Amino acid sequence: MLTLQRLIAELLGFWEAEGCLIEQPFDAPVGAGTMHPATFLRVLGPEPWRCAYVQPSRRPADGRYGQNPFRVAKHLQLQVILKPSPEDVQEIYLRSLERLGIVAAEHDIRFEEDNWESPTLGAWGVGWQVVMDGMEITQFTYFQQAGGIDLAPVSAEITYGLERIAMFLNKVDSIFDVPWTESLTYGEIRQSEEAELSKYYFEVADTGLASLLLDRYEAEARKALEAGLLIPAYEATLVCSHQFNVLDARGAVSATDRVGLIRRVRDLACACARAYVSNRGGTPVPVTEPEPATAI
Amino acid sequence: MKRDDFLFEIRTEEIPAAELAGARQDLARGITDALSDERLAPEDVESYATPRRLVVWAKNVPDRQPDRETEVLGPPAGVAFDADGKPTPAAEGFARAQKVDVSDLAIVESARGRTVAVRRTVPGRAAAEVLCEIVPRVVGALTFAKTMRWGAGERPFVRPVRGVLALYGGRVVPMEVLGVPARGSTVGHRVLSNGDVPVAAPSEYLQRMRGAYVEPDGEARRAAILDSARRLAAAVGGRIDADADLAAVLADLVEWPGLVRGSFDASYLELPEEITTTVMRVHQKFLPVRGLEGLLPYFIAVMDNAADRRGFIAKGNEWVINARLADARFFFREDSRETLESRLPELERLSFQDRLGSYAAKTARLEELAEAIAEAVGRRDLVDDVRTAAKLSKADLTSRMVREFTDLQGVMGGIYARAEGHSESVWKGIYDQYLPQGQGDDPPREDAGAIVSLADRFDTLAGLFRIGRLPTGSKDPYGLRRAAQGAIAIATARKWRIDWSPIARKALSLYPAELPGLDPGRAFAELETFFAERLRNAIERAGSSYDEASAVLEVGRWDFADAAERAAALTEARRRLDFRTLVLAFKRIRNILESEALPDPSPDLYREDAERALAADFLQARALLDDLVKGRRYSEALETIASIAPALDRFFVDVLVNAPEEDVRRNRHALLAAIRREFTKIADFSEIVVEK
Repeated sequence: MLTLQRLIAELLGFWEAEGCLIEQPFDAPVGAGTMHPATFLRVLGPEPWRCAYVQPSRRPADGRYGQNPFRVAKHLQLQVILKPSPEDVQEIYLRSLERLGIVAAEHDIRFEEDNWESPTLGAWGVGWQVVMDGMEITQFTYFQQAGGIDLAPVSAEITYGLERIAMFLNKVDSIFDVPWTESLTYGEIRQSEEAELSKYYFEVADTGLASLLLDRYEAEARKALEAGLLIPAYEATLVCSHQFNVLDARGAVSATDRVGLIRRVRDLACACARAYVSNRGGTPVPVTEPEPATAI
Repeated sequence: MKRDDFLFEIRTEEIPAAELAGARQDLARGITDALSDERLAPEDVESYATPRRLVVWAKNVPDRQPDRETEVLGPPAGVAFDADGKPTPAAEGFARAQKVDVSDLAIVESARGRTVAVRRTVPGRAAAEVLCEIVPRVVGALTFAKTMRWGAGERPFVRPVRGVLALYGGRVVPMEVLGVPARGSTVGHRVLSNGDVPVAAPSEYLQRMRGAYVEPDGEARRAAILDSARRLAAAVGGRIDADADLAAVLADLVEWPGLVRGSFDASYLELPEEITTTVMRVHQKFLPVRGLEGLLPYFIAVMDNAADRRGFIAKGNEWVINARLADARFFFREDSRETLESRLPELERLSFQDRLGSYAAKTARLEELAEAIAEAVGRRDLVDDVRTAAKLSKADLTSRMVREFTDLQGVMGGIYARAEGHSESVWKGIYDQYLPQGQGDDPPREDAGAIVSLADRFDTLAGLFRIGRLPTGSKDPYGLRRAAQGAIAIATARKWRIDWSPIARKALSLYPAELPGLDPGRAFAELETFFAERLRNAIERAGSSYDEASAVLEVGRWDFADAAERAAALTEARRRLDFRTLVLAFKRIRNILESEALPDPSPDLYREDAERALAADFLQARALLDDLVKGRRYSEALETIASIAPALDRFFVDVLVNAPEEDVRRNRHALLAAIRREFTKIADFSEIVVEK
C-alpha cells in the first residue's frame, strides 16, 4: 500500500534529486499551487528556477460536507516548476511515476490536450491532462503568460492531484478511505474538517465581511506596492482572490459583479508581476548561469 | 536525371487530436507545392500523422533541378559594335559588368530589335540543397488554432519539437527545423519501444515504425479500432453504435490502437440512457455497448498500448467509470429533489452574457418570443405549452448534472420535466431546444420544440447583434452562424413559410432601448444581411448554383422555407427548360427600365403585331401564374414563365422599344415593367449567368 504520506515523500524526493528546491506550502488560503509566489513570481523574468512543494488548495465551492467521495473544499496539489522547460520533460515526468511503482508499459498513459487558464492571475498555459487508465492524474502545462506578461524562458508546470493519485493507486472508492499513514485514513484526519468547512462556506460565512476584506486588501495591496513591498502586496492580492471564492461559494456574486471582481484581482496580480519583473521587489534572487540547453 | 524518395518526419510532444488532420494535410501540400515551384515535383505524395509525429513521403523526386537558361540583355547591337564589327566601349562595359569576355557576347532578337546579350546555363541545384531551404520554411508557415513556446521560448509551434528525420534516398538531408537538426533515425512508441529506430531509406519507414509499435496511418488506426471494438462487443452479445466521429478522435489520441473492454455496475443502467452514454462518450471517450434491449453494462476503451498485460488498464478505467457514474447518479438524485420551477430564481444569478443580463431575463424574453412565433406559424393552440417550455427551458442550467456535464443541457431539462409529469409537448420542447446542433443534424421532433428552439436562436442573435458582437471571418465565439443556420433549417423542415422579419424585429425590441451598441434599426439591417448569407449557403448546399441563389434571394429573403423551395424549383427547371432566351430578355429589360415607376400598359397604344402578341401571351400567362404561385407550384409556374420567351424574343427583334412617340415608348416600357413585376415573384432571372 502506498500511503498518501509516502506518496508525497517519494515525489518530493524524486524532484529534489532532479535539482528542485523544496519549498513549503504557502501559509494562507490559496486556490491552487500556481498562486504560490514560488510559481507565480518565479516564472517571471529570465532566471532559471526549479522547485517542488505540496500546496493545500482551497476551493470553497467544491465543498461537499465530507459526504461526496471525490470532492472536497481543500485538496492537496504537488506542484513542480522547471524553468526553463527541459527537452526531456515528459520522460522525467514518467520517471517520477516509476518512483511510485507505476511501470508505464503496464498502463495506458496519454497526454490529452488541456490548456489551463487563470483569469484572476492573468495567466495561461498550453499543455495536457495526463490521463492514466482513464483517470486524470496530472496537469502538465507550458506556462505562456503570467500576470499579463509573456514568459521567456518558458516554465514547465507539473501539478499532481495527490488525493486522486492515492485513490487510484490504492483502488479505494472514496477519498476518505485513502490511507494517510498505514494506520490512519484521510477521512480520520480530514472528514470532520470538510464538514465544518462546507457548513461555514455555504451557510455561515459573513458575506459582508468577505466583501469588506476584498475591498480593504485591494487597497492594502496598492499601498504595499507604492511602498515598494512586493511580497506583502502579492499576499494581499491572494487574500482578495480567496475572499472572492468565499463570496462565490455563498452565491453572493451576481452575473455582472463577477466580471468586475475578476478584473480587480487580475489588475492587482498584473501590477505585482510588473513590479517583480522591474526590480524583483528588492529581495535578492539567486542569479545563476542559465542551464545549458541539454538538460539534466 | 535520377529520382528518389524524400521522407520527412517531424516528431513533437502530443499534438491535439483536433489539429492533426489539418496539420498533416497542410504540411503535405506545403512541401508538394514548394517542390513543384522549384521544378522538383514528386510523382506522388503520401502523408501520415500520429499525436507525436507528422510525416510526408514524397515519391520519386528528381535529384537535381533541370538546368536553366538565362539571358541578360545589354545594349542594342548597333551601339555595341561599330561599322567594322568591332566592339565599342558600350560592349566592353557590358561584358565587364557581366563578368564575361567580349567574345562571349551574343546577339539576339529582342523587343528592342537586335540586342547584345549574355547567355548562361544555370545548373540546377541538388534536391538535398533545395529541401534544406524549403522544408523548414513550410513547417514555419503551418498555422494552428493555438501555438506555444517552450524552453528558451524563441520559436512557437503547436507543441515542442523533439526530433527531425529527413532522408533523400539513403542519405540524411542536413536541414534544421525549428532549431532541431535532422538525423537518420527516429524513435518508436514511448513505452513499447526503446532507443533509436534507424531508418535506412524512405521505403523502409512504415515497416520500421510498425515494428516499433507506431502505426503512422490514421485511417488504419481508425479501422483497427472499429474492427476490434466490434469483436469485443460481440463477445458479450452486444454491438457498438456506429460512432464514426468518436472513432476518428480515438485514432488520433494514440500511436498504437489497442483496445480494452471493461464493465460497470449494472445498477447504473437505471439512469436515463442519455446520462450514461454522455458520461462514457464525452468524458471518458468510451464506446458504449448496446444489446438488443438497450445498453449493456460494458464499455470499450482505446489504449495507447498493445495489450493490457497486467489487467491494470481495464481495472483503472472501470474504477473511473464507476466513480463518474456514481457522481452522475448522485447529481441526478439531488437534482430530482427540486422541481425545475423552484430553480428559476437562481437564474437571476446566472449570466447569459456580460451586457445582456441573466438567464432569468433571457427566459422572460423567450416566453414572449415563443408566443409570437406560435401565433405566426398558426399554432395558437400551443401558446401555453411553449410558454411553459420556454419558462423552464434554462432551469436545468442550475442543476448539478448540467453544471458537471454541460453537453446535457436541454436534454436534462427535458428528462426532469418528463419526470415531473409535464406534457409531452412541453418536455420534448425543452429536450429538443438546442437542435439542430450542426449541419446535417436533425431538427426538433415537434412544433413546440421547433418554436422554443427558434425563440432561443432569435433571442441570442438579436442580443449579440444589438451589442455589436457580429461574427468575423475567423471568429464566431457565440456560434451565431450555427444559430442562424439552425433557424433556417427548422423553418424549412417544418415548412413554415412565413416572413420571419417581424419576429426578428420583435426579438431586437425585447432588449432595453439603452443597450449600448447598435440601435435596433442598424442591428436589423446587419441581421438581415447575416440571415441572407446563411440562407444562400443553405440554398447552395442543397444544390443550387451561386447565380440561382442570387436570383431567388433577390425576390425575397425572409421567408426561408419558401426561398428554399423556389431555389429548388429554379435549379431543377433550369436543367429541363431553356432559360437562356428568358434570362437575356430579363437582363435587357432591367437595363431598359432602371427604376421608372410605371402604370399598367394600355392596349390602344400598341402599334406592332409583336407587341400585341407579347401582351396577349403575357395576360394569359399572368392568369395562370397567380394561382400557381399562390399554390407554390413553382415548377409549373416556371414552365409558364418560360413559355413567354419566344414572344419576348420576337418583341425585341420587331419592336423599337424606345419609340420616338413619348406615349408609345412609355407604354412599351409599361408592358415590360408589368411582365417583370409578375414574373419575378419566384426569382429575378436577370441575376442568372448565361453565355451571350
